[in-house]
Amino acid sequence: MRNTVLIVDDAELNREILAEILGNEYNIMLAEDGKVALQILESNHEDIAVLLLDLNMPEIDGFDVLKEMQRRDLMNRIPVLIISGETSLNVERKCFEYNISDFIRKPFDNTLVRRRVNNIVKLFQYQNELEDTVSMQTKELREQYQLLKKQAEKLHKRNTDIIDILGTVVEYRDFESGEHVMRVKGFTKILAQEIPKDYPEYGLTDEIIEVIVSASATHDIGKIAIPDNILLKPGRLTDEEFACMKSHTTRGSEILNNIKYIWDEEYAQVSYDICRHHHERYDGKGYPDGLAGEDIPIAAQIVSIADVYDALVSERVYKKAFSKDEAFQMIINGKCGVFSPKLLKCFSRVKKEFEELADRYSTSGSAQQVYENNCE
Amino acid sequence: MTLRECYDSFGGNYEEVLSRLMDDKRVQRFAFKFLDDTNFETLCECLKNGNYEDAFRAAHTIKGLCLNLGFERLRVSSDELTEALRNGKSDGAEELLEKVRADYIEVITALKEYQEQLPG
Repeated sequence: MRNTVLIVDDAELNREILAEILGNEYNIMLAEDGKVALQILESNHEDIAVLLLDLNMPEIDGFDVLKEMQRRDLMNRIPVLIISGETSLNVERKCFEYNISDFIRKPFDNTLVRRRVNNIVKLFQYQNELEDTVSMQTKELREQYQLLKKQAEKLHKRNTDIIDILGTVVEYRDFESGEHVMRVKGFTKILAQEIPKDYPEYGLTDEIIEVIVSASATHDIGKIAIPDNILLKPGRLTDEEFACMKSHTTRGSEILNNIKYIWDEEYAQVSYDICRHHHERYDGKGYPDGLAGEDIPIAAQIVSIADVYDALVSERVYKKAFSKDEAFQMIINGKCGVFSPKLLKCFSRVKKEFEELADRYSTSGSAQQVYENNCE
Repeated sequence: MTLRECYDSFGGNYEEVLSRLMDDKRVQRFAFKFLDDTNFETLCECLKNGNYEDAFRAAHTIKGLCLNLGFERLRVSSDELTEALRNGKSDGAEELLEKVRADYIEVITALKEYQEQLPG
């Protein structure tokens, strides 16, 4: 704790009187001029509780000391009491402009000097402690923020892990290559990022797009509840089989509904929307709920285009892959159901990027069901 | 002779200084310290050499010491001289110096007398 009084006065007698008045309560350091005072301030400023400063001194006087203290940014940490025989009010005003704490006129009164020094020391001690406390609390807050950030990152990883696990389950069950899931993810991302450029009304921020892209991996999770003989049947499905096949949307959304408490609400909701509604069409002729227009969640609208496109450009045992240009035209012309005109506008703008992505992946995966269920 | 009588002889205010410093031994000790102070010599020297800035500072210091020690008469004359020297030398500074000199000698003489008659 700061417990030293630095007394600066060129008259020895004045220094001694003050040292005697304050010596019982404080350590005393003496300086006979401004130069010595500044040296002591340099080396001992952590210990000095208060500075008693005379103005009239040879060479470096009291004002020079104040100027230098201001330059070293010490005035807020060390209180300065001017001790002077000066009676001019102008001099006193000038001192207060330097942010001194008090002005004590000679002659020194034993009691008053002690009281004024004690008051100012206590005030600064309190202020310094307060500052220390605040800076400690700021540090703690920062640490807590870091911890929260780390936990948020962990949670985020957990959310994406769950989605990836669900996506992987579908791949195994359906014998679909993981590449279908990967490609749908890629197409979803390209299309989703194009939308906010023209249509900010969908509110697609970078964060939401990330969730949608990630959640797109779950779009066919319901297929794990479809019997093998239907899911893996080569060739066309009967009406009854097709009805069962269509139920992968409702079954999938039920599965997600059952696990919604284990992950983040936003991820759960977006995954549910995609899973249930990625076969809805803009004219209301899709399934399972026959939603139309903007009643279809935007995430599902985006993934349905990505899903259909991938089905078209993929080769299957019973069908050749359509060329990328054919696939593009079929979607634009409504051969695979009606999509939002806004999304189709965005889709046509990113045609080239879709094609580049399609080229990067092998086209040997399966997209049979999607093709059969969606296209004429 | 008591210290109070000594103070009275050179126009000091013993009551006042005692009330501030709160101890008669302390007053005595500091009063004797004044005998060692060289500011009066500095003052005379500087005035002779035309060094008014340092003369001002020395006068100012003497005034401060007198304030602290309750040397009222010398305090008044040194204060007048200080103001006469504040902005360089002004008329009447010489006369004021002589007044200070007289008051100063009075203080020093009385203090020395008092000091010598103390036992031990």
